[in-house]
Amino acid sequence: MPGAAPLPKRKARRSRLSLRFDTPLGRAMLQTVAVMLFFALWEIGVRMGWISAFLVGSPTGIFGFAAKMIASGELLSDAWYTFFEAILGFVIGTIFGSLLGLALWYSVFVARLVEPFIVAINSVPKIALAPIVVLWFGTGLVSKVALSVSLTAIVALIAAYQAAKDADVDLQSLLISMGADKLQVFFKAVVPSTLPSIIATFRINIGFGLVGAVVGEFISSQRGLGHLIYTASSLYDLNTVWVGLFTLMIMGFVLYYVIDIVERTLLPWKQSNTTHQVQV
Amino acid sequence: MQPAPAQLSVRNVRKSFTGKAGEVRVLDDLSFAIKERDFVSIIGPSGCGKTTIFNIIAGLLDPDSGSLHYRGEEVESLRGRVGYMMQKDLLFPWRTVLGNVLLGLETRGVDRVEAEGRAREYLKGFGLAGFENAYPKTLSGGMRQRVALIRTLIMDPDILLLDEPFSALDYQTRLYLEGVLKDAVETYHKTVILVTHDIDEAVALSKRVVVLSGRPARVKIVHDIEIDAPSPIAARSDARFSGYFHALCAELDIQTEKSA
Repeated sequence: MPGAAPLPKRKARRSRLSLRFDTPLGRAMLQTVAVMLFFALWEIGVRMGWISAFLVGSPTGIFGFAAKMIASGELLSDAWYTFFEAILGFVIGTIFGSLLGLALWYSVFVARLVEPFIVAINSVPKIALAPIVVLWFGTGLVSKVALSVSLTAIVALIAAYQAAKDADVDLQSLLISMGADKLQVFFKAVVPSTLPSIIATFRINIGFGLVGAVVGEFISSQRGLGHLIYTASSLYDLNTVWVGLFTLMIMGFVLYYVIDIVERTLLPWKQSNTTHQVQV
Repeated sequence: MQPAPAQLSVRNVRKSFTGKAGEVRVLDDLSFAIKERDFVSIIGPSGCGKTTIFNIIAGLLDPDSGSLHYRGEEVESLRGRVGYMMQKDLLFPWRTVLGNVLLGLETRGVDRVEAEGRAREYLKGFGLAGFENAYPKTLSGGMRQRVALIRTLIMDPDILLLDEPFSALDYQTRLYLEGVLKDAVETYHKTVILVTHDIDEAVALSKRVVVLSGRPARVKIVHDIEIDAPSPIAARSDARFSGYFHALCAELDIQTEKSA
């Protein structure tokens, strides 16, 4: 056969390194080593004078401050405050947005009518609202929650509305042929089929909830991790800034996996035991 | 013997759709009648509007003109009284097998305990006991379509509308499910209208075959199938089977012999 590609030779399925480490424990080990290496290089860089401790802080300094702040209870109290604002904003915004998005399925007329307004609201960078939100809702908890809600609600709304529009029409027709009314079609076909998309927005929105809380604290507040980071950075206290940032990172990290568990409980029919990846 | 009265008659139904290319007439003055406990297959060229007929009977589409008569009474549609089965099994992926079977009874507001009891009985009768809590995606195509059939039958519909229900399955599974269907229809005394592309299936299962012409669809001819076989497989070895088969192929203008 002229021009035929040569048949591929038989080859080992995986390279040796990934074969040995591609287990949960192996991956965790590699990840830990990477993190430790990163901090070690950072510390060495600072000690050797390659980078300025004044501008980037140093791992030993960060851990020292963190230990002190944990011991005094200051870190926990700030973290808890920010966490509370973010979760409250996330829950209110996501529920409100999702319900509104689902409700738009009910009337095509209303949905078409409000669509440009939703697009317009979505295109405003919500962070730009922060100063007004503080003016309206004060410098306490409410303004941070309001900012989180403004960020999360619109994401949830658009995702829920889109998913409701995409819900399988044949399943709805089947229900109608069985004599179901619109309310039954909504609750038996539309709502369950939008759940995967709605839960997928949880992942995005948990991050946005934190963004709203922290930015709100930047603008004006007396407590919270945003307040901690803002005041420390104005004093060039980089180690404290890093403590705040790492605490936020850990918080987001934990919440991401909490949502993973929520997803697995709510969508048992979506689970598969294997991950399918095409081998190239 | 008295001629059986019509259970459902479709009279002078017209339907057209407006597409990009302008108005397309799909059904043009279509009339036919279905007797009580009839098993009628509708065959015709692709895209001749067979599914449109079903959607009108099931109340998913309104005809432009014409009427439906059910046991002598004019009705708007048979919504809620038909069992509609399509090529896709349309099982709800988030419901278990039991949940899917219960779907229709739930919409009808049947008492939960009673409905579950009935559902378990049906599942057992169709060899699906033990799969009550399985999700559809873990089942084979044949099993899924069996669940869809149970979901249809448990509603005790007056008429089953089957829109190529087996065409996505492999031949062996199809033969098996044809038998399951035929037995079920006889056990529960159902009237069936089956849309199919498969002439072989139409002859093996039906009492009558309605041949439609191409778009716009009209009834070209109705063939009575007088094969009295215990199963669809046995029907295929009946002496008259190939006669019907070739007659229907000729009606559909399918070349049955190589032209010179």
